[in-house]
Amino acid sequence: MIWQIDLSILSLVVLCAFATIMVKDLLSAAIIFGAYSFLMCLLWTEMGAVDVAFTEASVGAGVSTILFIAAAYQTTRIVKARRRGRLASKIIGLGAAVIMGLVLLAAEANFPGFADPNSPASLHVSPYYITQTLADTAVPNMVTSVLADYRGFDTMFETAVIFTAGLAVIAILRRVKRSDLCELPEPYTISAGYEDTIIRFVSRQLVPFMQLFALYVVAHGHHSPGGGFQGGVILGASFILLAITYDMQFVQQRMSEKWNILLGNIGVLIYAGIGFLCLLLGANFLDYSILSKILPATDKIMARSHGMLGIEIGVAIAVMAIVITIYLNLSSHGKLDKGL
Amino acid sequence: MNIVIICLVVSGLFFFFATTVGLLRFPDFYSRMHAAGKGDTLSSLLMLGGLALYEFHEINIATILVGAKILLIVVFIFMASPTATHAITDAGFESGVKPWQKEKTEEQG
Amino acid sequence: MEYLVAEYNYWIYVLLMMIGLYAMLAKNNLVKKVIGMSIFQTAIIVFYVSIGAKEHATIPIIAHGQGHGAVEAAIDVAHYANPLPHVLMLTAIVVSVGTLGVALAICLGIHRRYNTLEEDEIQEQLQ
Repeated sequence: MIWQIDLSILSLVVLCAFATIMVKDLLSAAIIFGAYSFLMCLLWTEMGAVDVAFTEASVGAGVSTILFIAAAYQTTRIVKARRRGRLASKIIGLGAAVIMGLVLLAAEANFPGFADPNSPASLHVSPYYITQTLADTAVPNMVTSVLADYRGFDTMFETAVIFTAGLAVIAILRRVKRSDLCELPEPYTISAGYEDTIIRFVSRQLVPFMQLFALYVVAHGHHSPGGGFQGGVILGASFILLAITYDMQFVQQRMSEKWNILLGNIGVLIYAGIGFLCLLLGANFLDYSILSKILPATDKIMARSHGMLGIEIGVAIAVMAIVITIYLNLSSHGKLDKGL
Repeated sequence: MNIVIICLVVSGLFFFFATTVGLLRFPDFYSRMHAAGKGDTLSSLLMLGGLALYEFHEINIATILVGAKILLIVVFIFMASPTATHAITDAGFESGVKPWQKEKTEEQG
Repeated sequence: MEYLVAEYNYWIYVLLMMIGLYAMLAKNNLVKKVIGMSIFQTAIIVFYVSIGAKEHATIPIIAHGQGHGAVEAAIDVAHYANPLPHVLMLTAIVVSVGTLGVALAICLGIHRRYNTLEEDEIQEQLQ
């Protein structure tokens, strides 16, 4: 919590935010948005939120940027210049933002001091989490234990939300071999079928190490920043790297659409399935301590740790499948023949 | 040992500064990519090398693991960053960005 | 000076949120509106994470060798950052990327139907 670094990164972040929305080229806006996400990630590391920063670095700076570029590739790249007649909406937008900002600033006078250890947010439930997580679950990473054990319901529904987002993208975009009502626009010209030995070789060498690192992140989430989401996104990003450097058929030979959707289902099923297993064994839903009855040589505390690992694996599989699905559908406009 | 670490980190900082100045002042896409690619890789290597060396102040299994992980990051950057520079420069060449030519003035005619 | 430093942080969060809100309301291009939505979401995440920050506190991972054994090497609550906002914001980030995917898919669908991404041209075609 060094305030000098805080203020300098915050100033840079505001600059990047301005630049992102003012630039006239969608590709540049996507790249500046990636830089904005990386600066946010630095800011959160400096504030002590390492898990959040890890997730933002993989999700925000990695996957969001490539999704924006895929969207810009399939539609127009240049934002048209400002026309007359839009002035009314700009004034309304500016007025609404200024009024809202003043209301928020007025409310801000009553906030507790910045980084105060005795602020109300840190006084009621979280001391229990901080002091008891090692005794209850034998997991040193407090964020993982709260995410997967104490607040496991939230995480289950969040995995369901990610799965629903993938379903929504498929429902909106996916077109299978039917003559369309209107002609699809030609995608922005990039040399189609362009091969380059160096890029293909290096990316092909890097992908197994990326996936190994992703599995490490999932498994080591109990002792270091990490967990299911980050590992799943890195696994998905390895497939996206292959889809960019080779073409989409290459990825589809290795991860077909049927297996993709199936893996997304299996991920959510593992999560809810572990919960139901606990129900079948006689305890509450998602109460992992009862798993000590079927796992050999574990007591109730270690059973909670193993239950957390199980659901993290389910989350990683689901997130990987959905990230791949969203990218493949966005960059090929639903047809899954050739993409970026 | 501290002197070596400080030298590594400061030289990494100097190369980052030189990269930024080059990125702003060079007249052409290709020379800017040259500055960005070289400076980015080298300065990251130097700074991360300094940080890895800092971990080895006391040798036990935990610090060896942390230092080894930082060195793995160095290897990854060494492989991935020049490839990315190559990819961007190739994309520029394929799109037809022309190299900068010095303008001929009337007197040199 | 202390007051200014503490207050400056909150002002920047409000400023970031208002930049995102302005982009969502006033920009013409649909993808720019989606970018504004993302800026708004990350600004809110910064705000929550700043609630969990504590002065002179370390990351919320219990250091090796504390809290083990019969002697309760007491885990000092003020020594660790508050993990609860971090958990909520992990969920928020993952949900935001799902929302981003669906929003961009809707933008692609609109572009296919109307052949433009500018809001006023779409409104002209609707009439």
